[in-house]
Parts: sequence; structure tokens; C-alpha cells
Amino acid sequence: METGFLQEQKVLEGDLNSENSHQNSVDFLMNWFRKQSIFVLAYGTGCGAIEMPPTFTSRYDAERLGIRGAATPRQADVIIVSGYCSYKTLRRIIRTYEQMSNPKYLLALGSCTVNGGMYWDSYNTIKKLEDYLPVDMYVNGCMPRPESILEGFIALQKEIGEGKASSWQKYEENYEFYRKNQEAVLGKKVEPSYEADWYLYEGGL
Amino acid sequence: MSNKHITIFHGPQHPGITGNMSVELDLIGETIQKATTHVGYLHRGFEKLVERRTVIQAFTIVCRICVPEPDPNEANFAMAVEELAGLEVTPRAEYIRVMVLELSRLAAQFLWMAGQSGSIGLYAVGQWAIADRDLILDLFEELTGARVYHMYIYPGGVRRDLPEGFLGRVSTLLNYMKKRLKEYDDVFINNASFKNRAIGVGVISQEEAIANGYVGQVLRACGVEADVRKDAPYLVYESLDFKVPTQTAGDVYARALVRRAEMDQSVHILEQVVKMMPEGEVMIKMPTHRKFKLPKDDTWVKVESARGEFAYYMAGDGSEKIRRMQVRGPSLVHAYTLLESLLVGAELSDVALIMNSLGICPPEIER
Amino acid sequence: MFSEIKNRFATDDVEVKRKGLYKVVVKHERLFALIVMLKEMYDYKTLNTITCTDWIEEGHFALTYIMTTLKRNETFMLQTMILREEAHTKSLSYLFKQAQIMERDLHEMYGIKFEGNENLKELSLENWVHTPPLRREFDTLEFVNNHLTFRDGRDDNIDTKAESKRLRAIKKAEKEAAKKAKESKKAEDVQ
Repeated sequence: METGFLQEQKVLEGDLNSENSHQNSVDFLMNWFRKQSIFVLAYGTGCGAIEMPPTFTSRYDAERLGIRGAATPRQADVIIVSGYCSYKTLRRIIRTYEQMSNPKYLLALGSCTVNGGMYWDSYNTIKKLEDYLPVDMYVNGCMPRPESILEGFIALQKEIGEGKASSWQKYEENYEFYRKNQEAVLGKKVEPSYEADWYLYEGGL
Repeated sequence: MSNKHITIFHGPQHPGITGNMSVELDLIGETIQKATTHVGYLHRGFEKLVERRTVIQAFTIVCRICVPEPDPNEANFAMAVEELAGLEVTPRAEYIRVMVLELSRLAAQFLWMAGQSGSIGLYAVGQWAIADRDLILDLFEELTGARVYHMYIYPGGVRRDLPEGFLGRVSTLLNYMKKRLKEYDDVFINNASFKNRAIGVGVISQEEAIANGYVGQVLRACGVEADVRKDAPYLVYESLDFKVPTQTAGDVYARALVRRAEMDQSVHILEQVVKMMPEGEVMIKMPTHRKFKLPKDDTWVKVESARGEFAYYMAGDGSEKIRRMQVRGPSLVHAYTLLESLLVGAELSDVALIMNSLGICPPEIER
Repeated sequence: MFSEIKNRFATDDVEVKRKGLYKVVVKHERLFALIVMLKEMYDYKTLNTITCTDWIEEGHFALTYIMTTLKRNETFMLQTMILREEAHTKSLSYLFKQAQIMERDLHEMYGIKFEGNENLKELSLENWVHTPPLRREFDTLEFVNNHLTFRDGRDDNIDTKAESKRLRAIKKAEKEAAKKAKESKKAEDVQ
């Protein structure tokens, strides 16, 4: 009988020999690895960040699912946009998101990222995050409880395991669309410009 | 590279920053030459949004002004509206408010403890403190229905009466806290690795603290016995017995000691509140149900939050809407006037330590 | 103290709002002299905040300086009016260090110029070119509608007013039908 620990293991790990899998075995294995170790960027962009410490510490203990914090964007797999997103922060989130290496996923917390939430008539927050950055998973609530954040993570893990979560590819393919929307709210100068980077100069590539 | 200035941004994406803000640092080697604070990453325009909402609509958003500790905002908002509209709150509602405020102070101090210990790498304390804070949040959830944003202290009283047996559960928690807080002394406050890092770092002098309008633990750690609950008592704090802990050193360690002593005082206050809780209504009967007409007048109310004096300015204009509400938390002056001068000469590794000890909370700076 | 303030600086009496909170409306040109007097002679050592209220109907901003004594049990609200058009006043940063950042905030939100304040750069906003947001003529909803897109509602998202009207009509019709049925039944019984 599969109860308790066994049941949880089954839910979390999926069935390696599933016939529904349309992926070849290398992809399948890669996705399986990816979903088992998710490093979350330590960037509290909005008020949802207050429920992150409980999620990652002893009570809810996200680490048992392979989810833990990472300090720098280059090492992180997931960026959490935790709630409302002012223009000034959006600029930094775009910069941070573009610094992260593939594969990368974006988890959006709270009603504010879905449709503006409490701040639907505020002049300084964006209303629909997916216009500016590709979103893998929305977790609704104001603010989402640690349980819902975990549920969001597990749903994301499931999508990663099935090879469905591929927002970073979407971002690369539809870059013009996103860039246009970003410039519409942030002005023509969206950082980074990538014109003065080190690899364009002597000593670079 | 010798003696060369380097400019780096500490934040907004940085694990050692207290929320979404950043400090621009000019460095020679590891020593900070100049610090510039940048805020605005969380600006939502609360003061504008409140102006175009009625009181009951504005009530739902004010608690979102400060995330780690939303209840002082609710209390301030309710007290300001009551003062303008001329309402008197029932005694039971006042006691319940004090209970909610003190519980939220305790929760905020636990969050500070986690941040402060995390800033020097004592991660075990963080695990403990966040878990103990969750016990308080569970009580809040039972009382108000929400963990973080309670929307409980409503102008005219509180939204609901206490659930059955709630006071018993509060005193059970307090008994646990009294034992538990002593363990924090061993692992954190008296820990040599914290003492070595914290003593003598981020020293603030008393004259400067008074002249520049610093509040809360920053002022109390310089030897000034300043506490809104004593100086200009609100609610029922006059009839409660508590002390204002002070220290004289004015450094990070002194502020930590003050905070730790305040946690004991909060527990002490809560014990009295549980004992003295009167019976009666929790919400007054309003002549026009949940419609407040604010006269053309203004007022200034303040409460003591976990980080110091938290004040609201509110003006009405004779309509149902609030004409102007200014939020004045402790962090604006701390993050600019204080932090920018305090960081000069400090080491880069102490930035997170100093920021945490000031308890800077960015959402209340830019609203 | 109050009579001296009234005679030398203000037009009206000092208003006692509640225990320990006083308010006085001061002529703009005498404001800074009063602040210095309160600070030097009456122990009001701390400036808590500077705030501004926009009275667009009357064409002025009400600037309120809030000061507290050393014992922090008495608070004074000094209010002064300045014209909305090309609003400007003197900076207080030479007296109180923390005034600098408060004035910077007001400059950004209302567009008030503080002469003598050396740093009035943007504080919370970034590249803002529109009307300063807290002025009453700035309509935030109109701004949002012009600049941002909302998510479409759900398919089952309905106009609540029309829907409740429709439901009420259905209920009314049902009630009437029941009444009619009852009456006809009664009529049958009588027959």
C-alpha cells in the first residue's frame, strides 16, 4: 500500500517507466535531474517575499523537495516575482532574468502579478507580468501561503519533468514582442544595453 | 588596482539586504568611502490610492504598507479615522488591539532575529526564529483569518470577537516563549561569534540620535528612554506595567540587547492583557453603518512599532474620502540620514549587519 | 507660550487637538522664525515630518511641519499655506538634517521647490515625465488606462448590476406566478 512517505515519493518522482512520456531517454533524464534540484534566486521583489523564509525554513522545509536558495542569478534556476512589480523593479527583474543561465523558470506570486491585484489603479505598478517576461507558473493569493507556494513549486516541477516548462525558449523566440512591451513602460533605455560589454573589446572574445 | 575606487551596488538583488532596496557603495579595498541609498523599488503610490477610496476601501490596503509588521498601520489608520470622526472605542476592543499589536511586535522581533543572525552566517538561529514566529502567525490566523495581512483593527473597534478559548492558547504560547527565549540567549545573544562581530560596529552617538530624529531601538541603544507607549500613551498602555529597556553603547550589539529585552517586555505585557481582558462589545454601533464622514480637519497619531515610532498624518475634507494620509515610519530617516553616514568607514562585510540592526523596512520608506 | 505665538506669528489661536497635540496656522514668512523659536526656547528638538495637503479648490498647498519635544510627550503641528502655482519655499535642511530627505520626497510628489536643498533628485520614481503624482489634478486611473493593459475578464465574468437585476426579475416573475397559482387554486376551491 502506498501511503505517507511512499505516496509522497511517488507523487514527487513520477514514474520513470511511464509510457506517456514522449521524450527520449536523455531528455527525460535531464528533466528529471532539473526538477529535483531547483535553486531559487534570493530576490524579494515584493511583499510576497515575507512568506519565503517560512517556506524555506524548518516548518515548511522546501529543501526536502530539492528547492533551496541561491545568492546569484548565474547559479539560480528559478526567479520568483513575489507580488506587485513597480517600473523601477521591473527594470531590475529583466536585468536579473537575462543574466540567469538556461534553463530558467519564472514563478509569479500573488494576485498583483496576475492582474494588478490591490494596486489595479496604481500609476507605478505593472498589471500583467506575462506581457514583459514569460511566466511559467502563477500562484494566486494575497499573499500566497507557504503551502500554496510549495504547491506552485510542485506543479512547476511536474511541468519541468514532463518537459513542458520552456518559458525561456518562448522569451528568446518572441523577444521582439517582450522588448516592445518593456520599452512601452520603461522607455527606450531598458537596461542592459549590451553595447559596452567586456567581450566586445580587446581581451574579450 | 592599488588605491582604486570601486563602486558597487549592494542590492536590490542581494541576500544580505533588508528587502527590495539598494545601497551604492564607494570602496577603497574593503573600506566604504561613501554610501548612497536608493529606494523606490516598492513604490506603489499608497497615498494617492487612499485619496481615491472611501474609508472602508482604504482600510483594506493600509496594512500592506509595511510587510513584516502590518498591525501598527491598521492601528494608526483606525485611530486617525476615529479621532477625525469622533468615535470612542469600547474597552474590550482596546485590549484586543493591544494584544494584536504586542503579538505582532513579537513576531517582527523574531523576523529581525532571523535576519540579524543570517547576516553573520548563524543560520541555525534563523531556522528557529522563523519557526517560532510561525506559532504567533498561527494565532493570528485563528483570530483574523490571515497569516500576514490581518485587516483586523477596524475604525470603531476590531472586526471580530475573540474565538472561544483563544486567551488560553495565547497564555500557552507565552509560557512556551518564556522558556524558549532563554535558549536564544545561549545560541545567539551571548554567542561569541555574534559578540565579536557586533560590539563596536555601527556606533551612534546620543546627541546625533536626538538631533536627527532617530527613533526606536536606535535611540534606546544610545541611552534615551524613548517609547511612544510611555511618552504619549495610546489605547490602554497607561494601565499596563512594563519597562523601556535601554543600553548606552549605541552599537549593533546594544541594539540587539535592547530588542531582546523588549521581547521579554512584550511577553510581560501580553500576560497582563490576557488577565485583564474585559467583557463587552468589540465594535461600537455607528449611526450610519460603516460610513465615515471626515470633517475638514487634520490629525497626527503615532504608535510604537517594533522598529520605533510609526506615525500617520491624516486630513479630511468633509467627504467620505480621506483628503491626505501621510505615512511616516521610522525607516525613511534611518535609511537615508543615518545609514549613509553610518556606513562611511565601515567594512563591506558589515553592511548587512548594520542594515539589519537598524531594522530598515523599504516598503514603508516609499509607500 | 501660546499667546506669544498667536501675537507674533499666527492669525488664529493655537488649537489643542488632544492632550499633547497642538496645531497653529502660521503666516508663511514667519514660519521659520517660529520653528527656530520652538527649537531653541521651548525644547522642540525633533522634526518628525514635513507633509503637504493639496487644496486644489482653494489654490494652495498646506505644508505642515510636525515637531516634538525632547521628552516626546508634546507635538506641535505648524501649518502654513503656499500657492499651488510655482510652489516654492525655503529649505529647512540647515536646521534639521533629516529635513533634506523629507523635502526631496515632497519635491518629487508635489513639485514643490525647496530653495537651499542641494539634492532634490528623484527618490521613488524613475524617469518620471508626467505631472507629479500626488497633485490632485493627476488622475491615476486615467494614467493606468492610457499606459497599461489589463487582463481580460473570464468568460463567466458578468456585469454584476445587470445580473442582479435579471435575477430579481426572475424572482419577481416566480413570485407572481406562485401568487397567481395560489389565487386560481383558491378560486377553484371556492367553486
